[in-house]
Amino acid sequence: MIGEMILRNVFHRPVRTAISVIAVGVEVMLVILVVGLTSGLLHETAKRVEGVGADLMLQPPSASVFMAFSGAPMPIKIREKLEEMKYVRAVAPVLLQFNASGGLDIVYGIEQETFKAVSGGFVFHEGGELSAPNDILVDDWYAKAKQVKVGQTLRMLDNDFHVAGIVEHGKGARLFVPIQTLQELSGARDKASVFFIKLTRPEHTAAVADELRKVFPRYEIRPLKDFLSLMTSSNLPGLETFINSMIALAVSIGFLVIFLSMYTIIIERTREIGVLKSLGASKGFIVRALLSETAVICGIGIVLGIGMTFGMRAVLTRVFPTLTILVTVDWVLRATLIAVVGGLVGASYPAWLASRKDPIEALSYE
Amino acid sequence: MQNAATILAPAIEGFLPGEWDVDLILKTDNLWKVYRSGKLEVSALRGVNFEVLPGEFVAVMGPSGCGKSSLLYVIGGLAQATRGHVLVDGNDMMALSDAARTKLRRHKVGFVFQRFNLLPTLDAYGNIAIAQHIHGNGFDPHRFEVVTSMLKLTDRLHHKPSELSGGEQQRVAIARAIINEPKILLADEPTGNLDTKNSEIVLGMLRQLNRDLGQTIVMITHNPEAAAYAGRVVHMRDGVIVDGVPED
Repeated sequence: MIGEMILRNVFHRPVRTAISVIAVGVEVMLVILVVGLTSGLLHETAKRVEGVGADLMLQPPSASVFMAFSGAPMPIKIREKLEEMKYVRAVAPVLLQFNASGGLDIVYGIEQETFKAVSGGFVFHEGGELSAPNDILVDDWYAKAKQVKVGQTLRMLDNDFHVAGIVEHGKGARLFVPIQTLQELSGARDKASVFFIKLTRPEHTAAVADELRKVFPRYEIRPLKDFLSLMTSSNLPGLETFINSMIALAVSIGFLVIFLSMYTIIIERTREIGVLKSLGASKGFIVRALLSETAVICGIGIVLGIGMTFGMRAVLTRVFPTLTILVTVDWVLRATLIAVVGGLVGASYPAWLASRKDPIEALSYE
Repeated sequence: MQNAATILAPAIEGFLPGEWDVDLILKTDNLWKVYRSGKLEVSALRGVNFEVLPGEFVAVMGPSGCGKSSLLYVIGGLAQATRGHVLVDGNDMMALSDAARTKLRRHKVGFVFQRFNLLPTLDAYGNIAIAQHIHGNGFDPHRFEVVTSMLKLTDRLHHKPSELSGGEQQRVAIARAIINEPKILLADEPTGNLDTKNSEIVLGMLRQLNRDLGQTIVMITHNPEAAAYAGRVVHMRDGVIVDGVPED
């Protein structure tokens, strides 16, 4: 009977309930999408770096795991020292540069031969290899998203590039140009941002890494198999704060709407609260009834929010094919918990006010 | 009326035992209720002495503002008296906490209001059953059947208040009030919002409840015709009972 009363109350004002449910849904969707977008971006970036196929990578001292954020690149002649080391089969120097025209992309400046030696080479969907200084390779996702065709001109880094080929995605970046061209354009002659190192056998990774630390004591030496685990929001300055801010914003929306909704409800139901008190309902009963009502609204909102998340993900990835939105069970559960707690906290004060209403005043409420 | 013997009432779980006229179901002793609004004080009850025996049907009459409703609310534990004592089935309301008064109301008092005060989202069935659930002993189908049959509600149970006539709504309210077999039923102008025909039906049913089930009823009214249904009528004026007090 109590359950029936709660359900009937929830659906008594369908518009108000719908607004509350949508607010909770938006809250859940925002939380899952913001985290999904950032973790998807990191995960996808990590998978691409792993896709280079190297066993180790060497970066300048204090370089970030987010390679494009790293500052001064290293002299390219370091490669010679690396190639002399035991178990090293190939070394590919890569210069990284942000491209902000038409989006935010990382461009890899590569030596085609050494990059092929480390990565096993590109799989071409169309076109062919880099053969001229202004040639550029784009991956298939980039080509689809930007509708790039082989042979067309791409304007980036204040330079006109000729699209020489479209390659399978997953080899570090989406854009590849000759390293010398990128060095010229970025004023980093004879420099590299990272060295990808391929070993004769992956089992030698730890030994070579130890040796590298001796030879290059302050440099960052990272096994690629650990790279995915390093690509977390906590390793990117500001990202964690951004995520937390967005979650706080989402929770605030849910909290405020539930608070206002429940506050309105208790004013509207003042007389009913008085009636329940006249029947001997305790304060706890009234608080439980109102919080249960909130929990039902939150429950429906959470289901809606999860549905909206998948719908929005489908729309976003259709409109922006390069976007990866990682929806994990872990964050779906966390968003659920956040919505429930936010909703219940939002309803607590109105419920407490309701429980303390004077029954005579409540019964005479017009 | 004979004097009630004063003995020590048995302890009831959750309530305070006390000295108590065992035959009385309700007794007020020098009961005062003062409302304060800023510096203004209004005394709604000015030393009310009032007694009701189990199974009595008492009407309390008086003009508007004489303190009838205040008396009812204090007796029912919805309001706390300023001074004096209210004994309901042996429990001194003045000695009880708010939570204990709520518990006592739940177990021993039923209310019927002038404006019916049904929960609009529930049908008649739900409005009656919710009182059983709040009472805490769960749904009692036998009692439910007895009460709804007596109040001729069997065919109207699955209608919401908005689909019921005023008389039907008040019968639902009465059913809700007595479903838990309260020691005392407090009715505040139960026919105030009803036409003559429905008033007669409702009052007839209250009298039937009193006669057939021995339900103790205290009814507030300013209508002499309604009061005529009661076994005893007391009159209030300016916060005190002026006549109708049973003789010692």
